[in-house]
Amino acid sequence: MLAYLVRRLILAILTMWAVSVLSFIVIQLPPGDYITSYIAQMSSSGSGVSAEEANALRQQYGLDQPQYIQYIRWMKMVLQGNFGMALEYGRPVAEVIGDRIYLTMVVSVAAIIFTWCAALPIGIYSAVRQYSMGDYLATFIGFIGLAVPSFMLALILMYFGFTLFNANIGGLFSDEFAEAPWTLAKLWDLTKHLPLPALILGLAGTAQLIRIMRANLLDELGKPYVVTARARGLSEARLIIKYPVRVALNPFASTIGYLLPYVVSGSIIVSLVLSLPTVGPLLLKSLVAQDMFLAGTIVLLLGVMTVIGTFISDLLLMWIDPRIRFEGKQ
Amino acid sequence: MAHNRRGITRREFLRNTSMAAGAVSLGGLAPTLVQAGQAAEPKLGARLIGKLEGPEIIRDVAKFPKTFKEAPMLAELVKAGKLPPVEKRLPEPTDLMVIKPLKEIGKYGGRWRRGFTGPADTENGNRIVSTDKLLMWDYTGNKAAPSLVKDWRQSDDGKVTVIFLRKGLKWSDGEPFTANDFVFWYNDIYQNKELVPTPIPELQINGKPGRLYARDDYTVVFEFPEPYFLFVDILAGDTLIGGGQATGMARAVFMGGYAPAHYLKQFLPKYSSADEVQRKAKAAGFDSWVSYFRNRTNWALNTDLPVLGPWRTVGPINTPTWAMERNPYYWAVDTAGNQLPYIDRLVMGLAENLEVLNLRAIAGEYDLQERHISLSKLPVFVENQKRGNYSIHLDTSQSGCDAGMLINTAYEADPEIAKWLTNRDFRRALSLGIDRNQLNEAFWLGIGTPGSTAPAEDVAINPGKEYRKKWAVLDVKQANALLDKIGLTKKDSEGYRLRTDGKGRVRIELMSVGGQFIPYTQVGEMIRQQWVKIGIDADVKETERSLAFTKTANAEHHVMFWTVGGSENLYLFPRHVLPVDPAECHLGMPFARWYASNGTQGKKPTNPEMLRAFDLYRSASGKKEAERTKIAREIWKILVEECWVIGTVGLSPAFMGVRIVKNNMGNIPERQTNAQHVRTPNTSHPATFFFKS
Amino acid sequence: MTEPAARPVPPVEEETAAASTAAEERISVATQWQLMWWRFRKHRVAMVSTVVVLLFYLVVIFADLLAYADPLASEAQRSLLPPQRIHWYDRGRFAPHVYGLTGVRDPMTFKRVYTPDPNKKIPIRFLVRGFEYRLFGLIPMSLHLLGVEGTTPEESLFLLGTDEQGRDLWSRLMYGTQTSLIIGLVGVSLSLILGVFLGGISGLYGGVLDTIIQRLIEILRSIPTIPLWMGLAAALPNDWTVIQVYFAITIIISLIGWTELARVVRGRFLSLRQEDFVMAAELSGCGQMRIIFTHLVPSFLSHIIAATTLAIPAMIISETSLSFLGLGLRPPAISWGVLLQQAQNIQALAISPWLLIPSIPVIIIILAFNFMGDGLRDAADPYGH
Repeated sequence: MLAYLVRRLILAILTMWAVSVLSFIVIQLPPGDYITSYIAQMSSSGSGVSAEEANALRQQYGLDQPQYIQYIRWMKMVLQGNFGMALEYGRPVAEVIGDRIYLTMVVSVAAIIFTWCAALPIGIYSAVRQYSMGDYLATFIGFIGLAVPSFMLALILMYFGFTLFNANIGGLFSDEFAEAPWTLAKLWDLTKHLPLPALILGLAGTAQLIRIMRANLLDELGKPYVVTARARGLSEARLIIKYPVRVALNPFASTIGYLLPYVVSGSIIVSLVLSLPTVGPLLLKSLVAQDMFLAGTIVLLLGVMTVIGTFISDLLLMWIDPRIRFEGKQ
Repeated sequence: MAHNRRGITRREFLRNTSMAAGAVSLGGLAPTLVQAGQAAEPKLGARLIGKLEGPEIIRDVAKFPKTFKEAPMLAELVKAGKLPPVEKRLPEPTDLMVIKPLKEIGKYGGRWRRGFTGPADTENGNRIVSTDKLLMWDYTGNKAAPSLVKDWRQSDDGKVTVIFLRKGLKWSDGEPFTANDFVFWYNDIYQNKELVPTPIPELQINGKPGRLYARDDYTVVFEFPEPYFLFVDILAGDTLIGGGQATGMARAVFMGGYAPAHYLKQFLPKYSSADEVQRKAKAAGFDSWVSYFRNRTNWALNTDLPVLGPWRTVGPINTPTWAMERNPYYWAVDTAGNQLPYIDRLVMGLAENLEVLNLRAIAGEYDLQERHISLSKLPVFVENQKRGNYSIHLDTSQSGCDAGMLINTAYEADPEIAKWLTNRDFRRALSLGIDRNQLNEAFWLGIGTPGSTAPAEDVAINPGKEYRKKWAVLDVKQANALLDKIGLTKKDSEGYRLRTDGKGRVRIELMSVGGQFIPYTQVGEMIRQQWVKIGIDADVKETERSLAFTKTANAEHHVMFWTVGGSENLYLFPRHVLPVDPAECHLGMPFARWYASNGTQGKKPTNPEMLRAFDLYRSASGKKEAERTKIAREIWKILVEECWVIGTVGLSPAFMGVRIVKNNMGNIPERQTNAQHVRTPNTSHPATFFFKS
Repeated sequence: MTEPAARPVPPVEEETAAASTAAEERISVATQWQLMWWRFRKHRVAMVSTVVVLLFYLVVIFADLLAYADPLASEAQRSLLPPQRIHWYDRGRFAPHVYGLTGVRDPMTFKRVYTPDPNKKIPIRFLVRGFEYRLFGLIPMSLHLLGVEGTTPEESLFLLGTDEQGRDLWSRLMYGTQTSLIIGLVGVSLSLILGVFLGGISGLYGGVLDTIIQRLIEILRSIPTIPLWMGLAAALPNDWTVIQVYFAITIIISLIGWTELARVVRGRFLSLRQEDFVMAAELSGCGQMRIIFTHLVPSFLSHIIAATTLAIPAMIISETSLSFLGLGLRPPAISWGVLLQQAQNIQALAISPWLLIPSIPVIIIILAFNFMGDGLRDAADPYGH
């Protein structure tokens, strides 16, 4: 088993390196660089940049050097823990991302919680009452999230939230709390703003989860031990929750690992529409601005998180499912 | 020059004619577009376009106030001993800037809420604090007026421009502002090759550099080897030298003409050592003292930087809230002696996308917002006025065209297309084939003015009323005649004209950028349909913005859609109508390089009219204002006749012209000049805005 | 396919026994596809969904016929027209018609206001000649399902309203459906080929090849899709024609989708490899190719079909997302993504909500594909419930 672990670890590191190269290439693919983007942006907002300014900036940021040198410089910095300067922000990348990462996690976790709370009951119900009217209705509702384009739904809900309920428009904080330091009241304000983003982000994942839950549970319900338990007189509800559901949940444990990066990636567009102060809009804007360090670091971060997550998932799976462990021993 | 567009009867008249003009029967009748009532005056939107106005600056010292008052929040600090009394904070009583508020003396207090889109949106705040420019413009945008400096004088031969500082004016930290700050900037920043690698053209005349020196503590001299009368305009406009410290340092590379010597010295190697500044930089997380210096000189990022504008940053722009607070040492008062500004704080909330920003404005969450407000949402704004408790002001721009078709006259890749793009009759025919009324109705809600790229009629350098419609009306017959005349007579089975080299249709590529304030791609789509009638095929290619700019920098495109904003003050911002600036040129980058390098780089234009325009342009810096204006008019005549930029619709509020103002704000002008060189809303003196309740 | 076990049958159940033996016999001699079909039939929602999907693909084929107005014909005086009301009866007779409209921009609200004129009745006709098109890109035709009498449909018929440029939304929706569904299909086919090929190699040969392909899949899945799209889309040469960009977009989208299919295929291959019948085939001397195509592929083909069907909705959503980001198809091309992008703003929601109608076919087709795929998957798995 140790051999297996070590092998997986080495592979994970190799994958992370490949992800870093790919991230860099993907960011640099669009022609031009940060300065071209900067000039275009200034012009678009009614100002202009002079040729001298552009040259000076380019020199200063080291953007006039060949690509592979820039990559090596970047990698050296990253391995030392220095993620570079976010050009547009004029602050270290670590600070810029750091500001937003907690909120990103909060929103993602809220979305995950919503998904689970919505999907699990529906999944269980539709497995137990397969092919019934309730099954169809429940799956239909669950699948709506999959079918409606999330950015459209976000805009619609935000707009009607405002027109009908005078709700705050986008964002995660009300006006008063935006600049205020962290207090209990601010926490409560944050919680009040979470339902809408959690709903929209979570809705997309519910369908998938319903499906998996349903399939797993159906498999379990056919097994002999269920028949035995029923024959022994256990009540239906207790029977289902206590045994098959827990077994059906096993595969979920293994997906926990890369759930977070998955949700973060999937939430980028919706975060932009709802103007959430999370990593998503940051990534999009930095890609458009070709802010190499910022964009590169976020992409790298997400990639590395996924690799680590998969690794953890494999570990968890191995721990949960003894067969893999035994296979390794042989 | 006030413009009276008010008058109830006139409004009603306009309304009736516009309703008649706009009505077209659909179905059953062939739709003929009625053109009555659409001559020169704005028709639709007239009720939201008010009188041009702005606060008056009192220059007569005898009328200056003798006693002064201050904001309560500052009075508290004075009582606590943390601030000197107001008389000590203001400049000497004869050197004040005294502003007569537009409507009434205001009240202190309040928080001005706005929306911004991220750390790149420095202009949002730069413009509001732009009184830190040396000179500015009066509210019409036509005459230079003193701002930071008390007065200026230019020698008769135009070689020397002298500015007189206000005695006793202090930085926001209380240190005196003197000529030394100019000398410091000139010697230690401008001449430092690591900070400013190449000298700027504005401090040169005909390639020869000028110099800056101090005559005494409060007099600064700019001396040039040749006549440079334009220099006054440069000081007043949105330029590297004239932009003021906020803009000059935040946006550009260490410009503005002056800098707080007492504060910035510590960050320069000259005043300590190279190692010391490098150490300081590394400690703050920057990789070199130069990038640290960039950060330290940026008023939006560095809350410690002394500034001269009415507000200073207390919460930097790279956080979700950009917060500003009053500058206790601001050097302007109203006619009753109240130290300005009235408003205590300015708070900008981050909106990651424009829909959210506009929706928040609709909800009444912003007190005064003109930036990023989209004209196409005007009906929604109007609908929600009561609910949001705001009113809408439309500030029409001075720029003749919001969605110009900038033709790459230096195009070479396809010789056939190059032949046509450089043919004046071809360009004119393309222009005559556009139905501008259709564009106006669909994308400007009928509020814009269809026509050429010529600036507004009330701008001094406007070439003449007849140039609005020159080559800029729908005349399919003449267009077809022109195209036939130049040899594009063969057509294919669908009526499209064929290339003379036999390679199929004449197809022009229209490059557009998405997500701008005017939907360029959709404008292109409509034009493409309209050009069917003149037999020209067009391909609309929406391109990502920086990619589009890269292509135009390499002169690879045929036509690019962009605004010609800025060209209403031709000498300060010509780049969108004349290929003279290699920083950004969509009209033919090689020509711009040729002009800027005085013939040593780039390519020389072959079009004699372009060379004539270049010569005229080059000669203007050394001419007096009256002569310069004549020259500019001459150049504009060339521009309209040559159609290097085909105009569509302009003189509209599309760019930062839809102003949403909460009803409890006072001293708000009905209409303000909307142009780049005046740093809108600077001419309305935001320091005089106040909250009535 | 198990043999019916031989059991002593109690005499009372002889009749039902006979009947059930007959049914069992049918089952035992039925082909795999017939079995799938019978199980699929039981899933009613899947059946309905399949019909819906087929209807949509009819639209794909006959988009030109179903559209009645030139989707590119703009006219500012028809800008932002709301959907028109069809009047079915004229003086007692069945004579569908619409009213002529007068449009004017209200100077107070800045909205365009259209007033129908009851005196101007414009009859709707079926199977009329209208704007010209080429069926399948080859046959020049001008027949349309709907049309009007006395004027052109561009000027008078607006079943779903018009957009900002005055172009008929119904006609644009027909073309948008055509484009988006073709992208979905082509994209999925590419994913399928890549997925089966790479997943198959991975599962069949195992070892180093498997590890490499698995790592490749993991790397591709680790990179967030949006930067990947942006990078790839930006790398497209700008002088490509609309068609070329179209296919480049589908290739980009399919490059993400193949990893999922590859995983499924690999999983199937791995489990099937151990099966007895494969070993039997190997022992009897079948070549690799024969094993793959004659024995292995048919066993998991049904699963692949199910997985593919479930991948199409992802393609469609990807296309709309790409358009939202400004990376996908751009105007003047017409697709669901383009149509939705033009509705993704406040003024559409507040003033002209009919611009959001294209989201309805998107929702329907995605639901339909999902249920159809579910049904196929349930049917393909003989050991499930």
